[in-house]
Amino acid sequence: MTALPLGGFLALSSALLGVGLFGILTRRNFVLLLIAIEIAMNAAILNFVYFAAFAPVPALGLTGQEIAVVLIGFAATEVAVGLAIVLALHRLRGSINVAQATDLNG
Amino acid sequence: MSLPEIALALLAAVAIVTAASALLVRELVHTILWIGIFFVDLAAIYFLLEAPFLGVLQLGVYAGAVTVLLLFGIMVTRKRIFSREAATGIGVAPLALAALTVVVLATALDELPSGNVPIQAYPPTALSTDLFGAHGPWLLLLGLVMLVSVSGAIWLVREGRE
Repeated sequence: MTALPLGGFLALSSALLGVGLFGILTRRNFVLLLIAIEIAMNAAILNFVYFAAFAPVPALGLTGQEIAVVLIGFAATEVAVGLAIVLALHRLRGSINVAQATDLNG
Repeated sequence: MSLPEIALALLAAVAIVTAASALLVRELVHTILWIGIFFVDLAAIYFLLEAPFLGVLQLGVYAGAVTVLLLFGIMVTRKRIFSREAATGIGVAPLALAALTVVVLATALDELPSGNVPIQAYPPTALSTDLFGAHGPWLLLLGLVMLVSVSGAIWLVREGRE
């Protein structure tokens, strides 16, 4: 049976969350923003897979992997909706810079 | 260090470098290439964690579909596919906030048991039996929510055209 350090995996997902957060806060291009969100989301999915792999009870491990399956599906849906917003924004303003999308401001 | 530990260290390093590169390069097509490598790398980590179904799902959905969708998003919104993104500053405040998040999370690592922990392997059949058996109705409901979301996305794209 393979044995690995749990702390190493969690350090990896923490670092990926940091990279994703940095991207969300700094990028202005909508596609890059989507990519940053995906990186942060993948860090969360990774956590579910780690804890599933290290779960002491098989039922808990299976539940962790099931949540990861559902989240991967949700992430794909999120990208589809995000790209629809990108296309609508581009048609409306001719740019996908989120800093210029201020139509809903009061 | 054992072979799986070396593999984990390498895969973790590649994941962090590719994720950061995807957000920092100025050529948008290169961003897609980096993020594609990132998704493949995560699939390799899933295989290392003995979750082959999730690894294949990651390759099919993320490395395949999502990467192509993002490339499509760049192709239709740019006059030339190889076009550079305007330089945006790194920003001290966002960098500090991201670093602080990592530091706060890293402090929790001290609470974890030290040393290696054995990995539990689950066959894909056990996963599918549990997923489509006990949680079947909830999965169908989630599928319906996703269908409505994608229908909304299609409506959003079509509406501006009319």
